[in-house]
Amino acid sequence: MNEVSLLYNYLAIGGVLFALGLIGFLVRRNMIVMFLCAEMMLQGISVNLIGWGRYHGSLGLPGAWGGQMLVVFIITIAACEAGIAMALILMLARRTGQLDSAAWQDLREEGQPAFVDRQVPEERTEDRVWPQLTPAGIQPPFDPDLPINRPRV
Amino acid sequence: MMPTLVAALPTWKHVLQCPTFWALVLGALGLWLLLPTRLRFGNSLGSLLVAMAGGLFAYDLPHLGSWLDQSVFWILALVTLGAAVATIASQSPVYSAIWFALSLLGTAGLFLYNGAEFLGMATVVVYAGAIVVTFLFVIMLAQPEGHSPYDRLAWGGLPKVLGVVTAGLFIGILTFMLGRLKDEAAKPLAADAFAQAHENLVANDGILAEKHVANLGRHLFSEHLVSIELGGTLLLVALVGAVAIALHGRPRLDQQIEEALR
Repeated sequence: MNEVSLLYNYLAIGGVLFALGLIGFLVRRNMIVMFLCAEMMLQGISVNLIGWGRYHGSLGLPGAWGGQMLVVFIITIAACEAGIAMALILMLARRTGQLDSAAWQDLREEGQPAFVDRQVPEERTEDRVWPQLTPAGIQPPFDPDLPINRPRV
Repeated sequence: MMPTLVAALPTWKHVLQCPTFWALVLGALGLWLLLPTRLRFGNSLGSLLVAMAGGLFAYDLPHLGSWLDQSVFWILALVTLGAAVATIASQSPVYSAIWFALSLLGTAGLFLYNGAEFLGMATVVVYAGAIVVTFLFVIMLAQPEGHSPYDRLAWGGLPKVLGVVTAGLFIGILTFMLGRLKDEAAKPLAADAFAQAHENLVANDGILAEKHVANLGRHLFSEHLVSIELGGTLLLVALVGAVAIALHGRPRLDQQIEEALR
């Protein structure tokens, strides 16, 4: 493979991945989606580092493993971040009952105007579909005594 | 080492003839339409524009040498970036998480393709297997009642435009600054360049040598030993912190018993 163009391609893909994560983090309001976008930015950086490591290796320079080492630590940091973010998001969601980051705009600086949704769009029917498992096997016959006499498990 | 940064500023004519510029314009417009919005036909038009932008962007990337390499790379990049676009565009957070898992699989494929076997597997196991599944649990715990209005609209109009424009400028500046690297990539190579590069990658326990994981472990636990220890400590601290955050604010057990008895 042409190593220079491989490096360029990886840098371009990593940059686009980072930029997509940036857009998502700036635009989306669901805290979980914001977190996923932060992880996506980390992925973009990892793609960059892997590309550079391969390029240095193909030139015969020392430090070809450096890119992969850095990605190992990025994965470590991402795992830490996921644990703490999960605890934080669960706390915040338990207090307000929703995952909206705009619910915490009381923390804004004094004198700043509040953010108000101008128009909440109608929910379309095609958005209301949730992922479902395909039914497997036959449905067991319903026993009316079962809910009463069901043993506690 | 060859220089990677560009030397001279481009003229407007040069910019207007560059496919990447138009790819960025179309991609920014398409993403603006795709993000949660209330426009009609926003999704189909936006996907069309983003697909055109992806085609133009791929057209402007330098060629990898053989068509087999090139098509494998394009498929992996298509999976990664397409799933990433769907992650930020889908309105349900459940679908966002699933698309993100697919994007991670594409990234793992890119890692494997570039000789990082262990990291590709680690990405699948740690990210797609653990982190995304954990966040699916959190979504199910925190949002059981279905779709919410805040998933169906963004932070108003201006932040959306600004975010898209920022990202477009970011990629534009990045690709522009790497201009000389691209010129270097477009040059015809010497006949033995492929073999030489492969030999360099294999020699001296390089990243394509046999016993990849053993070599990686050796580097990790010799040159980066202190960092590994620090990383382990950081994981422990994060674990303790997460438990502390999750327990904080919940009434303690003796208080619960008191309230129950009252």
